[in-house]
Amino acid sequence: MALPFLSFGQGKKILLLNGYLHVGNGQTIETALVGIENGIITQVGNSLATKIDKKYWDTIIELNGQHIYPGFVAPNSTLGLTEIDAVRATRDYNDVGTFNPHVRSQIAYNVESRVIETVRTNGVLITQATPRGGAISGTSSVMYLNGWNWEDATLSKDDGIHVNWPASIEGGGWWAEPAPKKRSENYDKEKQELIQFFDMAQAYASNKKPVFDQRLEAMKNCFQKGANFRVYFHANELQQILDIIDFSAKYGLRAVIVGGYDAHLAGKRLRDSNIPVMLQRLHSLPEHEEDAVDLPFKLPFLLQKEGIKFCLQNEGDMEAMNTRNIPFLAGTAMAYGLTEEEAVRAVSLSACEILGIDKKYGSVEVGKSATLFVSKGSALDMRTNEINLILSNGKFIAVRNFQSELYLKYKTKYEQGN
Amino acid sequence: MKNRILLLAFLLILQYAGAQFKPDNGVKDSKPEKILLTNATIYISPKVKLEKANLLIQGNRILDVFSVGKKYDDVVQIDCSSKVILPAFIELNSNVGMPKGDDRSFRNTFGSKGSLYWNEAIHPEVEASRLYEIDAKSNENYQKMGFGFALSHIQDGIARGTGVLMSLGNQNVNRQTIKTSAAQYYSFSKGSSSNGYPSSQMGSIAILRQAFYDLKYYSETVKKTETSISMEKWFSNSSIPSFFQVDDKWEILRAHKIAKEFNVNFSFLGSGNEYLIAKDLKKYNLSVVIPLNFPEAYDVKDPYIARQVPLSDLKHWELAPSNAKLLSDQGVKFCFSSAGVKTIDVFWSNLRKTISRGLKTEDALAALTTNPAELIGMQSEFGTLDKGKLASFTVYSSDPFTTEAKLLESWLIGERTIFSENPSGEINGSYSLNIAGNKYTFQITGSPEKPQGSVQTFKTIPSTNEINGKKVDTLNQKATILRNSNDLTIQFNVNDDLFNGSINLHGKVKTDGVFEGDGTLPNGSWIQWSAIRTKEEKEESKSTAIKLDTSHLVNVWYPNLAFGFDSLPKKNLIYFKNATVWTNEKEGIIANANVLVENGKITGVNTVTTPPKNALVIDANGKHLTSGIIDEHSHIAISKGVNEGGQAISAEVSIADVVNPDDINIYRQLAGGVTAAQLLHGSANPIGGQSALIKLKWGHSPDEMVIPNSPKFIKCALGENVKQSNWGDNNRFRFPQTRMGVEQVFYDGFLRAQAYKKEWENYYASMKMKGVTPPRKDLELEVLLEILEKKRFITCHSYVQSEINMLMHLADSLDFKVNTFTHILEGYKIADKMKKHGVGGSTFSDWWAYKYEVNEAIPYNAKMMADQGVVVAINSDDAEMGRRLNQEAAKSVKYGGMSEEEAWKLITLNPAKLLHLDDRMGSIKSGKDADLVLWTDNPLSINAKVSMTLVDGMILYDASESPQREKRNESEKARIINRMLESNEKGEPFKPFVKKGKKHFHCNTIGEEGEESENTH
Repeated sequence: MALPFLSFGQGKKILLLNGYLHVGNGQTIETALVGIENGIITQVGNSLATKIDKKYWDTIIELNGQHIYPGFVAPNSTLGLTEIDAVRATRDYNDVGTFNPHVRSQIAYNVESRVIETVRTNGVLITQATPRGGAISGTSSVMYLNGWNWEDATLSKDDGIHVNWPASIEGGGWWAEPAPKKRSENYDKEKQELIQFFDMAQAYASNKKPVFDQRLEAMKNCFQKGANFRVYFHANELQQILDIIDFSAKYGLRAVIVGGYDAHLAGKRLRDSNIPVMLQRLHSLPEHEEDAVDLPFKLPFLLQKEGIKFCLQNEGDMEAMNTRNIPFLAGTAMAYGLTEEEAVRAVSLSACEILGIDKKYGSVEVGKSATLFVSKGSALDMRTNEINLILSNGKFIAVRNFQSELYLKYKTKYEQGN
Repeated sequence: MKNRILLLAFLLILQYAGAQFKPDNGVKDSKPEKILLTNATIYISPKVKLEKANLLIQGNRILDVFSVGKKYDDVVQIDCSSKVILPAFIELNSNVGMPKGDDRSFRNTFGSKGSLYWNEAIHPEVEASRLYEIDAKSNENYQKMGFGFALSHIQDGIARGTGVLMSLGNQNVNRQTIKTSAAQYYSFSKGSSSNGYPSSQMGSIAILRQAFYDLKYYSETVKKTETSISMEKWFSNSSIPSFFQVDDKWEILRAHKIAKEFNVNFSFLGSGNEYLIAKDLKKYNLSVVIPLNFPEAYDVKDPYIARQVPLSDLKHWELAPSNAKLLSDQGVKFCFSSAGVKTIDVFWSNLRKTISRGLKTEDALAALTTNPAELIGMQSEFGTLDKGKLASFTVYSSDPFTTEAKLLESWLIGERTIFSENPSGEINGSYSLNIAGNKYTFQITGSPEKPQGSVQTFKTIPSTNEINGKKVDTLNQKATILRNSNDLTIQFNVNDDLFNGSINLHGKVKTDGVFEGDGTLPNGSWIQWSAIRTKEEKEESKSTAIKLDTSHLVNVWYPNLAFGFDSLPKKNLIYFKNATVWTNEKEGIIANANVLVENGKITGVNTVTTPPKNALVIDANGKHLTSGIIDEHSHIAISKGVNEGGQAISAEVSIADVVNPDDINIYRQLAGGVTAAQLLHGSANPIGGQSALIKLKWGHSPDEMVIPNSPKFIKCALGENVKQSNWGDNNRFRFPQTRMGVEQVFYDGFLRAQAYKKEWENYYASMKMKGVTPPRKDLELEVLLEILEKKRFITCHSYVQSEINMLMHLADSLDFKVNTFTHILEGYKIADKMKKHGVGGSTFSDWWAYKYEVNEAIPYNAKMMADQGVVVAINSDDAEMGRRLNQEAAKSVKYGGMSEEEAWKLITLNPAKLLHLDDRMGSIKSGKDADLVLWTDNPLSINAKVSMTLVDGMILYDASESPQREKRNESEKARIINRMLESNEKGEPFKPFVKKGKKHFHCNTIGEEGEESENTH
C-alpha cells in the first residue's frame, strides 16, 4: 500500500487509525490511533476505544494493522558528510589535526545526499552527523534526514564533542613481524595529552575574561553543568572504559561510551556512574578468536541484563550507505535476546535519551514531534520492512528514492520489451 | 659409493692444498702428531655410549676410539676423567658468515645484471661459498652450544642458491670449508627482490613452478643457443640436497606438491608447528629441521592483557616444546636447528625441555648429529665419533642431557679450543679473611665462573647512651671476585675502624679452602693476606634430573585454535524428523518431513518413514532444514595474499595452492549456515588467479577442504580496482588506467594464448624432425587457453553496464562464454543481454556508494536480473556478512518482492549452478551431498539462527554445544595462562603481548597481509 506522494505541510491535522503502534518506550497498542496537529502528536490511543470526530481531522489514514514506529535514529554516523567513500572530494568528515573540537559537522551536512534518500525509506529519520579522526574529532549535531538546507535539517545543534580515547592495547609492526612497544607508555602519554587539553579547557571555561581561543571555546559546554552537551568517548576495551569513568568523574562530564565492546564487563561501574553506551555495530566479527561466535549479536542483551543504558549505532565499513540497515541491527538484537520492543527502543527512545532529545523525539507519545513511519510488517525484519508512510517532524516525506526510480525505469524498459 | 669417497678425499686434498697456497710465516707451526683423550664418557653415536673410553686423534680425524687399555707412549695425552664427549652438532639452517646489513648486498657479488633469471627472487646462481667470511663471534656462539658444522646460505629469495658446509672455527676459511655447494635452499618469500611480482604466496608458488619448467626448457632446448648463468648453476646443482624454508606447517605441504610435480626432494626448515601435520610428514616421508627456538611466554600478569592473547597462540606456546616428541611418535625424521635461539643457555634449556616432554635423549642427539649428517649425505664424514670420522666433538664437565653441564672444550676437525678449565674445586662458603692481622668474615657465593663475594666490616659508632655502651655498626660490603682457574682477585671498599678505601687482593687457591697472596691497603702499602674456609657451602646437587611432563599432549585440537575439535567428527547416520524442509526442488517447501543422511550423502527426502537402527535421530519439530549456503564470492581461509597484483595478468596463480584451514572465520561461517564457498582471487588486475572451491570443513586439511574434481574457475576483474582508480597518485603507470585499456589487456592475453597454442601445434606436427625443440611451457598462457577452450570458467568482478557489455562482446568474439559476473551491480540495466549471453550474476543485496562505479547500484538488482531469466546468486565478499547471507537473501523479498522460495535459492541452489556444482549441492535431494543446515525459524526471518550445520554428513557446528565449547575455550585459556604465569615466575623469558590487527582479505587487498583499512571491494 504505497501511499501517493502527499504534499501536506505542517499545520494540518492528521489522524492515523488502526495501526499496530510500537510506542518506542517498550509499550505497544495493537489497534492504535495517533493524532497529529501542527507536527506534534496530540493524541495516542486505542482506535476501538476512542470516539473519532471525523470532521475534526483534515486527513484520516486507515492503516489496517500496519505497524507504526517512532523514527529510528542513527547515532554516530557520517551519513550526510560523505557521498562516495572512495572519492576524496565527497568526504567531509575527517579534518587535519589532533584536537579539533571546533570543527563542526552541522554545516557540512548535505541534505540532498542521495545516500540519505535511501536511508529514510527504511525508517531511519534522525542521525547524529559525527566527525571522525584525531584525538578529538570535532563537534557533532543531530540532524533530520530531510530539509532544504542544513539549518532546517538541524534537530539539535552542537550536541557534543567526540573523543577517540587512546588505544590501551596497541601493537607495533604487523602480525608476522611484531615490534613490541611498551603499550602502557604510549597509552599513558596519550592519556596525559588528553588530560592536559581538558585541564586547559576547564581553566578556560571558568575564566570570566579569557583570551578567545577557538578550540577551547568549543570545549566550554563540556564543563557547563546545565548544558545539554555531551562528551562522546569512542572506546571498546575494558581498560579504556574504566579510565573513561574516572576521567568523566574528574571533570564532571556528561559522558557517553561509543563502541563499548567490553562494556558488559563493566556493568556496575557504568551503571553507578550513569554512563550510557552507543553500542558498536552489531554486524561485526568477534574481537577475539575465542569469543562466542555470536557475541557481537548478543551485546545488547548483555547490556540490558547489566542494566546499562544503551542504544545501537552503525559505525564501520561503508557506514553511510549501511545506515539503512539499522532496523535490521535491532532485528538481530531481538533474535539474540532482546524482546521486540526492547529492540525497537534501542534504535528510537534510548538513542534519543542518550542524545538528549527524548523530550520531543524517540517515541510516539503525546506532546512529541510527529517523527514516525509506517511499515507493512515488522520493520526489524527485512522481509516485512516495507515503509509506506514517513513523517519527519510533522512533514510527509516521499516514500521513494533514486534507486526505486531507477528500478521503475528499467522495469518499464523490460516490460516494454526494448 | 666408492666414487663418492674418492671425490670426498679429493675435495679434502684440495682443501689442504688450498691451505698451503699461503706460505707460513717463519717455520711451520708445530703440532702434536697424535692426541689421546683418556677416560671420558663418549657418546660415539646416539645409540652407543662408552664409559671410561679413549679417543685417539690424528690430524683432523679420529684414529681410534676404544675402552680397553691400549698403550700409547708417543702421543699427547689429555685426561678427561669424569668428562663427557659428544659428537659436534650440525646446523643446517644458518647464515653465519654471510654478508651483514643490507639484505641485497649479496647481489654485489653475483650481480643484478647479466644473463640472470628475469625475476630477482629466483637466484639459484648465488653460492654462499663465495660470500663466506669468518664471523668469530657467531662461530664461538655456535661452538658453545655444541655445534661443529654449519650449512650457511643466503636467507633471501625464493630460489636462494647453494649453501656452504663449514666447519666452525676462526682460523682458515679454506681448511674449514667442508663442501662448497652442499645444499640448495628455497622458500616462498621473495625477500629483497626489487620486482613487484610475486606479491603473494600463491604468486611465489607459481613463479617457482614456472622457473622449474624454465629450467627444464633451458637444459633441453635453450642451452643450445643461449646461456643463462642462473639456469646453468641451477642445473649443475640438480642432484644436491634441497632445503625449503617455511613459515608455517601448511607451506610444507604446498612445497611438497611442487617437489612431486618436478620430481625433486625437499627437506624442510620448519617453523615449529610441524607437530600439527606429523601424520602427513610421515605419509610423504618428509624430513624437517625444526627450531629449538620456542615462542616465549607472554607477560600475562595483567588479566586485561591476558584476555587479548588468542587461544591459538597460547596453545602453540604450550605445545611447541613437544614438537620433536610428537614428530618422533609418528616416526618422522627430524633435525634440530638453533636458528633464532638467542643464547647458549636458552639452547640447552630448550633442548632439555623438549626431552622433558618425552623425547628420548638418543633421538635428541640424533637430531643434532646423525640425522643432519644423513640429510646432506655426509654421514661418512661426521655425525658420530667412529673411527675415521672428522675429529669434531665437544667436551663437557658432565652429561649435558641430564645435568647442567659445563662446556669445556670444542674440537673442530682436530683443532682444540678450550673454553674453560674445569675449576679444581668449589670455593663457595664462609671464610675468615686475615688482612694484616685483622679478621673479616668473607662470603663467596655464585657460580664457579662468576663468584660473588661480600665482606662484613665493623665500625664503632660513639654512643650517647652509656648503658648500652658503644654501638657497633655492621656493614655488609660487596666484593668483586675474579677467578681464573686457581688465580683469585678480590676487591672491596671498606670504611671501618681501621681502613677507609679500597682493598685489593690477589692470590691463589692453595689447597681446598685456603687462599693466600698479596695485596694493597687503601694507603697503598703492600700486605700479605690469607683466608681459611670456616664453612663450606655444598653446591646444590648439580644433577637436574629431567622431569617428564606429557600432561598437555592430549590438547591438540583440530584445528589447534578456539572451537577446534578434540577429534574429527564422523560421517554419521542421521535422521531428521518433523522438519520443515526447503528442498529447492519441485517439491518446494515440505512441512513435517524427514530426511535421511548416510555416509555423507542425502539418501532419503520424506521417503523413509522410520529411522534406521543406529541412526542419530534429530527431532526438528518447529525447525527448518535447508541445504547449506554456498558463498559464491569469499576470501576467507586464504594464506598470505589474495591478490597477485604484480602483473596485469596472473592467471598462473591459484588460491587452491594457499587454502588455510586455520581461519576462525570458517567456524564462524558454519555458525551462519555456510557449507561451501568459492575462494576467489582478488580484483587488483584484469585477469587474476584461479579459484578454490571448498567446503567449510572445520578441522580438516587444505586438501580435504578443496572439493574433489571441482570445475575450474578463474577470477577476472574490470573497472576501478583494475585501473587502480582508488590507489592514490603513485599508481598511475601500470597499464591499464582506463576501461579502454582493460579491454585491450584481455584481447592481448587471449591472442597470446591462441598464438601459444599454435606454437605447440606446430611443434607436435614437426617434432619428429631433426633439430625441432619444444616451445617454452608458459603456465599463464596455458590457463588462458583453458578459458578459450571452455575448460575453465570465468567469474568476473564487474560493476557498470559498459564494462559488462564489453566483456560479453569480447567473449563472443573469441567464442567462449563468461560464466558469472560477480558484484554486477548494474546488471539490472542489461539483464536481457546477460540472459542472451548465458551469463549468471552473483551480486550484493544492497551495497553501494563505496566508490564511484557503484553510484547507480540498486538493491532491486538481484530481483531484476532474476526476472530476465539470469541465474542470480547473492554473495558476501566479506567475512562478517558471510555469516548472515540468509539475511542478505531476505532483502530480495523486501526489494522487488521476490518469493521466499526463490530468495532462498539465491544463496544455495543458484550459486551451486553458477559453480557447476548443482549436481551434488544446492538442494535437498536424494544422492546429493549432505550439506545441511537446521534453522530455528524460517531461514529468511531475522529471528532465524542456526541450530546445526552439516558438511558431508558431519556435524561441524552444533549450537547446543556452543556454551560448552565457549566454556572449554575459557578453561583451556585459563589453564595455559596459569602455566604461563608459572613460567613468568620461574624467570623464563617473556615478552609483552602485541595485538595483531583484525585483518581480513578483501578483493582489493594487495600483498601478503590482511587489511584493517576500509574495504572498497
